[in-house]
Formats: sequence, structure tokens, C-alpha cells
Amino acid sequence: MSDTNREIHELLVDYADALRDGCIPAFLKSLTREEAERIASSWEFWDATEISRILNGVGFAGKAVAPNVSLFISRVDAEIASRLKKSKASPPGKRPRRFASQKRSSGGTKNAAKRENRT
Amino acid sequence: MNKRLRNALKGLMATDAERRRRAMEPFVRATFGMFIKYLYRYLGNEVECEDVLEDVYADIWEKPERLRNITSEKQLLKTVYLYYMRNRLREVYRRINRNLYLSQNSLKDLIAPEIGTLEMVSRSELQDILSQALGKLKARERRAIELWMEGASNRAIANELKTTVGAVKMLEFRTILKLRKMLSYYNRED
Repeated sequence: MSDTNREIHELLVDYADALRDGCIPAFLKSLTREEAERIASSWEFWDATEISRILNGVGFAGKAVAPNVSLFISRVDAEIASRLKKSKASPPGKRPRRFASQKRSSGGTKNAAKRENRT
Repeated sequence: MNKRLRNALKGLMATDAERRRRAMEPFVRATFGMFIKYLYRYLGNEVECEDVLEDVYADIWEKPERLRNITSEKQLLKTVYLYYMRNRLREVYRRINRNLYLSQNSLKDLIAPEIGTLEMVSRSELQDILSQALGKLKARERRAIELWMEGASNRAIANELKTTVGAVKMLEFRTILKLRKMLSYYNRED
């Protein structure tokens, strides 16, 4: 992936390799401006990416190490607990007090609604 | 859809957040294997798959409405990909996008693309389709793809085929396009 100014076929193969090896960010970072433009304008590249994903799915998804589901469930539960805590800390319906006074002083519900959207 | 998954989905539709939280365990148990294998196609990395899935499940817990009328596993996978996974996949790469030359649209299409008909076919079915298509390729093309699918590097493939790395890259590219053409009738089904 260190080559500069790669042709479209090299870019596709490098993308497929990166997908297979799980290092897509490294591939994305390796792209130069010209290569990025080449990718954006090549229909062949976009056509081939779907097949690369399918080859990756068929060839490697089954071989991937299956993580411990119970451990994963506890991670999901912790994430949900954190979101629950956040939503309880700031209920969406509650308005700050200063906003009510501003509403009275400036008058007009339209302006208040605009301010509300901005906040 | 099996009974376990159907019951798990029913539990997710509870209005009470705590009940939904309790319903997540059977839902995760019923779907984890299916989701991680699907997501692996896009990330190719188990650790990242787990991180993305953690957020996906929490999103499902928060807003499960999209899964209300699901009747099959295929429909579930499609809905979860379109409404939950795709957003999270984009978020993963949006963070590094500041240093990239790729436009937002290209990045979006590369990382979390629109779903193709082929991508919704089950893994076992895909294996059959692919092995049929591989059987129609020339021996050299088939060998290159088979070696690639075994995890061989381009240099190793070049050594095996007694050619250069550049020639291997061109061969793989042409073969992938050929496979795409062979499998295109699946895309026309839609």
C-alpha cells in the first residue's frame, strides 16, 4: 500500500486486501488526492467493491474468532445503562428557567421556537 | 423466523425502557452471530465489529420501532443494516475523514454502501453461487482468487503463479470484474 499514484486496479486490490486484513483506515489514509479522485470517477472500482465484500464475507467471516456472547451482552447492558442514566439526568421535556424569562421579555412564540431550535 | 427470535423481537417492543433492557439479552443471543458475520464483510476486523455492534444494539434498544413488523431473518438483517449499522459504520470513519482526500460521498459509498441484492443472500447460498461462478473461470484466475481467499499475500500468489505482483493485481482486478458480470443477474432480480 506504500506505492504512490496507483492505478485503479491496484487501488481495488489494495482495498480488497485491506478489507480482508481488517485495516480499512490504513488504506483510506494511504490514498493521495489523485488516487481519491480516480476512485470517485471509476465505475469499475465501485462495481468491484461489492464482489470484494462478498469474497471477504464468504472467505473469512466464518473463520473470524467468535467472541464470548455473555461478555458482549454485559457490554451492551453497560452501554444501555449509561444511556438510561444520561436520559434520566436531562429529561428532554424540561426547559431551563432562564429560557422561560427570555420568552416573556422578548415576546412572540415564533422567536422562542427559533431560539429553542438553536439551543 | 425461529420462535426464539420472534419472542425476542416481541420483547423489544415494550414501551417501558427497563423491560426493553431485559429483552435485549435474548435478542442479542439470537442475533449476535448473524450480525457479526454480516458486519465482518464491511470491516474485516472482529474488534471493530464488536465495538460497532455494541452501539447498534444500544440504538435498537433506544429506538426499536423499525423492527416492529419484521417477519423474516433476511428482513431483520436488511432493516438493521439500513437503519442502525450504516449510521454507526459511517460514524466510525467520519472521525478519521479530516485527514483524507476521499469525499464524504465516496467514503459513505465505500464504507456503508447501499445494499445490493447479492449482499442480502444468505452465506451458504452465496457460497454455492460463488463456487459455481469460480468453476466457470480460467484455471489461473480461479487459483488467484482461491489463494486470495485463503489469505495469501499478492507476493505469495505471484510466486505460486510464477509471475509479478503487478500482474497478479491486474489478474485479480479483471477476475473480480468478471465475477461481477457473472453474478449480475442476481442484481437484476430487484
